Amino acid sequence: MKRTFTVCPYCGTGCMFYLLSDGNRLVGVEPSRNHPVSRGGLCVKGWNAFSFVGHPDRLTVPLVRKDGELVPVSWDEALARVVSGLRSVQGRYGKDSIMFASSAKATNEENFLLMKLARRVFGTNNIDHCARLCHSSTVVGLAETFGSGAMTNSIDCIDKADLIFVIGSNTTEQHPLIGTRIINAAKRGAKLIVADNRVIRLARHADSHLRHKNGSDVALLSGMMQVIISEGLENRAFIDSRTEGYHEFAESVREWTPERAASFTGLSAAEISDAARQYAAAGSAMIFYSMGITQHTHGVDNVRCIANLAMLTGNVGREGTGVNPLRGQNNVQGGCDMGALPDLYSGYQKVADPSVRLKFEKAWGGALLPATPGLPLTLAMNAAARGDLKGMFIMGENPLISDPDQAHVLAALQSLELLVVQDIFLTETAQLADVVLPAACFAEKDGSFTNTERRIQLLKKAVEPPGEAKADWEIICGVAAAAGFYGMKYENTSGIMAEIASLTPIYAGVSHRRLPLAGLQWPCTDADHPGTPILHRERFSRGLGKFVPVTYRPPAETPDDAYPFVLTTGRTYFHWHTGSMTRRTHLLDREENRAFVEMNPDDATKLGIKGGERAVVSSRRGEITVFTKLTDVVPPGVLFMPFHFAEGAANALTNNELDPESHIPEFKVSAVRVRRAG
Amino acid sequence: MARTTSPAEELLYNPCEAEIISVADLTPDEKLFSLRMTDNRPLGHLPGQFVQLSIPGYTEAPISVASSPTRTGFFDLAIRRAGTLTAEMHRKVPGDTVGIRGPFGSSFDLTAFQGKDLLLISGGCGLAPLRSLIQYCQDCRDEFARVAVIYGARNPDALLFKNDLAEWRNSPAFDCSVTVDNVSGGDCFYGSVGLLPALIPPLEVIPKNTIAVVVGPPPMYRAVIEELKKKGMASSRILLSLERQMRCGVGKCGHCTIEHLYCCTDGPVFRLDQVEGVRGAI
Amino acid sequence: MKTVIPDRLQEFFIGFTDEFEVKVPVLTTEGERVFASPFDGPPALSGGALAAKPTAVFFPQQDGVISIGSEGLLHASSAKPLFVAGFTPRDLLCLRFIDRFFAEGYRDDIYFSRRKGALIAAVSGFSGASGGFVPLSGGACDLEFVFDGAVWIVVPYSEPGKRIAARIPDDAADDALAALLEKSGGCVDEDAAIIQAASKLLLNEMVPDRFWDSVAESCIQCTGCNLVCPTCTCFGVQDWRYPDRVERSRMWDSCQLEGFMREASGHNPLGTEGLRTRRRIHHKLAADRTKWGEISCFLCGRCDAACPTGIGIVAVSRMIVERFS
Repeated sequence: MKRTFTVCPYCGTGCMFYLLSDGNRLVGVEPSRNHPVSRGGLCVKGWNAFSFVGHPDRLTVPLVRKDGELVPVSWDEALARVVSGLRSVQGRYGKDSIMFASSAKATNEENFLLMKLARRVFGTNNIDHCARLCHSSTVVGLAETFGSGAMTNSIDCIDKADLIFVIGSNTTEQHPLIGTRIINAAKRGAKLIVADNRVIRLARHADSHLRHKNGSDVALLSGMMQVIISEGLENRAFIDSRTEGYHEFAESVREWTPERAASFTGLSAAEISDAARQYAAAGSAMIFYSMGITQHTHGVDNVRCIANLAMLTGNVGREGTGVNPLRGQNNVQGGCDMGALPDLYSGYQKVADPSVRLKFEKAWGGALLPATPGLPLTLAMNAAARGDLKGMFIMGENPLISDPDQAHVLAALQSLELLVVQDIFLTETAQLADVVLPAACFAEKDGSFTNTERRIQLLKKAVEPPGEAKADWEIICGVAAAAGFYGMKYENTSGIMAEIASLTPIYAGVSHRRLPLAGLQWPCTDADHPGTPILHRERFSRGLGKFVPVTYRPPAETPDDAYPFVLTTGRTYFHWHTGSMTRRTHLLDREENRAFVEMNPDDATKLGIKGGERAVVSSRRGEITVFTKLTDVVPPGVLFMPFHFAEGAANALTNNELDPESHIPEFKVSAVRVRRAG
Repeated sequence: MARTTSPAEELLYNPCEAEIISVADLTPDEKLFSLRMTDNRPLGHLPGQFVQLSIPGYTEAPISVASSPTRTGFFDLAIRRAGTLTAEMHRKVPGDTVGIRGPFGSSFDLTAFQGKDLLLISGGCGLAPLRSLIQYCQDCRDEFARVAVIYGARNPDALLFKNDLAEWRNSPAFDCSVTVDNVSGGDCFYGSVGLLPALIPPLEVIPKNTIAVVVGPPPMYRAVIEELKKKGMASSRILLSLERQMRCGVGKCGHCTIEHLYCCTDGPVFRLDQVEGVRGAI
Repeated sequence: MKTVIPDRLQEFFIGFTDEFEVKVPVLTTEGERVFASPFDGPPALSGGALAAKPTAVFFPQQDGVISIGSEGLLHASSAKPLFVAGFTPRDLLCLRFIDRFFAEGYRDDIYFSRRKGALIAAVSGFSGASGGFVPLSGGACDLEFVFDGAVWIVVPYSEPGKRIAARIPDDAADDALAALLEKSGGCVDEDAAIIQAASKLLLNEMVPDRFWDSVAESCIQCTGCNLVCPTCTCFGVQDWRYPDRVERSRMWDSCQLEGFMREASGHNPLGTEGLRTRRRIHHKLAADRTKWGEISCFLCGRCDAACPTGIGIVAVSRMIVERFS
């Protein structure tokens, strides 16, 4: 029996556990009592995280499409095909006719290398990853207001907070161990406000549950801030000493009386005022938010409102406070940190900044690096659909199931001259590929992941990858070598981290040697730096915190007579994203083994639909058939659907309208109609 | 699979191979499979017992044996298509093999039935386990006094074993009544229309000399039991067969427990007085 | 009397590795105590119950059932018998319970393929968390390691246990052990009274459903309570299809999951969170008491430690006793 202490592959909470192997394959998981996040516990996905690793569906050999069929080939042939394919597309359509999609499931080291491959070897800034679909609004909104687009505080702060305000996060299902800390805080007497129109588990523990209309977050938050200001509950000292732009901002929320906010949100004015007073009265208040805030065409505005609210009451830079976006994927924080973004190098250093480029050019062997920011993932998909982008290299993502408007994505991917997919299973996207590269999964490689509280933790190999599969970083280096670039040879992943540290100020003090047990929270600027559990303590990353006025905009698509329901999409507790891992985990798939839609029983009665039967849900983009789940969790007029199920893909319905600044799609609001199937 | 098994240890979870001899449609969702053990040994079951049907790649499911041990050389399984395993079973044809573990569970106590009037009541797919007993009664008719078979289904299409029902109705050995909840225009149906429990009040029951057996979907039990009690039947004379999600069949996996009872080993056949006070049993 | 000084434990256990697959609590670099080979590090017998269930040695989280290949059913070869040191006396009670569970009626050959011939050593004395005193088991194992604060007194019970102890030279008088035994006799566990009282209330149906619903509000279905419980034995079954074979395995399952009892028809005897929470506690304190004649919680403390929201069996029992006595 071999035990390997490593990081859970699922959410951004960053639990660590022991993987047990019988020397050959994984046979179980043991939690860790000493790990600061896990504290001896795990969620059901963590407890079963070993299970999919040895699944017979794992990809074991490289595949290349020949005569329409994916057939096994040697690594040399596959890599040569990748390089010649990408080069050929670039030769005919220009450097920026190809796109690299990195992965929030891959390690920091791998994200850094793919970023390096795109920029240095293929000369394009067209690199992005699924953070575009989850927290790009946070990166933009918090960078603007605070100077750093990450969770300001630490999970441990929950134990110290007097009040916790959760908006747009189903925490017990999506970040379960963080959710349990919040439940425990409520039990010890901390106030809990939950703003979510679904009756999520946290709502059952809340002092106030605000079921505001989908997409009315700006109205709700502006209304709360108006109450705080008009009742003189703001923190003057903090505003004066730590922030700028207050007056213009205060002016902008003046019109948002609770009555006006009520008319936009569907709440009562009293609910809004009461929540505002509770939040303002707390000695220390934490805000948690997630996709319910970010995945809107006004996602950045939502984030600005949250930042404004925290600054207004001085709830930044102290224990038990802060603005805490919960990052979804286990390494989506790291993916951003590593510069798998079209406009940023690692550590949020701007591509457009010549001195930054010069630094990377020097480190990477002199060649000039591209100066123009590249395409965000969502715009790249649009470009492909238009015929402006011809090649795509996708590492560990499954956009055919995860991205908005499936018909659009399918058309975009099919229009490509070259699609390379590097993954652990033959996902729906990989089935369309010209080249499929078999990758090692989390349990089969070394590296590091950065969790939602910026904690960089060590991933360790527990078992060998199946067949000829290789770690993503090894594959990327193989592509670089096949392309004739010899500046990407590493003995191991700690060597890659050394390069990251040398080029990335916020990771400058990070080395694998320093990471065992609890990791390090960035910024960690030198080898002796202990890491930073709380950001913006004495000063904001940008100096002064900046209040930014926000103008309310409704969602891009609202219900009408033809499509009378609001569809909001998300995830469930038992599955992970497109299900490639969890649907191959017996217990998890048993729990939820079919696509479903949550519907209020009143709506169902009106439409003559029964629970557990099949219903057709359609939008302007498409139509799917799923099973109904009748529940008061959703209010009348709202449908909720998880996007895990390829056989009833919620994203066949969603709307590919983007936030103008972050380019995040509006997954949380689209207009649909529903009828009984058959 | 690294584990040690001494040769002496019986391999509890290894299925034995059985061959499908014939397949017949019972309803649009149910098929009747006749099987034999490939080594030609008898299955060795008693009426009321079940087997674990094992199809490699699809795990296992508990299935009641639907034929009497008095009919030798084969055994019947009536299988409704409900999940992935049963769907796979429905794709099987004669000559295909499957795995069988068992028979498992408690059976109807045939010695206690001797000389008694029997009320054999079933609803829906509850007729499958009861068919084993009915056939036994047919084959050993002299062992029992009066035998009444009462069966109900949702509609004529959903009736199982239509040929058997016709045979039983015409047999002087049985008093056989069939009812359906609804009929629609085109149905050709010769029984009564109405809910199953309504068939009980007209019966002439001598409580002390009668044993009632009730097998059916969960909601049926309460209504039927109530009617039987009105007839003066004691709980100890009412037998039930309960259905749960048995995964192992041998009292280990825990999926079929009803409070302290294991449906797979303590049941599936229970006397009503064993389960009456047990929460969740009926 | 036989004793081993702490510094010699590793060497002592390594001495048996030719004959046995030895498992002892070892301190990992992360500071966790886990069952491992004595080659993996110095034994850490002290510290109380391990976080993981010790019965996992015989009933691991995932285990092969059969491999169905072109040659029919395949089975694997033999290994050395196990020598497992590190059960607390409470863990021994759990082991005894599941030994009986897996043996009675149908004998679970998969469990006994590891369990049979395994040597079990208990750990007690001043070996609890932070040096606390753990009362001696006084038997129900092959041998016991009793810490008197300075040395490990090795007390053999069974013949195989005596053969192990015989390898240690006699080196101390028996007085120390007698004193520890006497101290054990005086130990009273308050939690035992609590679960007994809760058990009685459950058997008398004094606990209403609204109580279970309220406890269930805090349950996120992590399943940790079941997965760390040494007397939880429920398992699920999966088949993996390979081109040339099907591998059937079983894995720990949890009654806290909605799908645990859900039938293909959709009928679910444990269809609500409240019913599932009730089942978790009721099964140990009432159902098993009816079936097996004893409560199947032996107060190992693991579910209370692993539950992220503080609703382990002792915590819930305490709530029951406070509210419904």
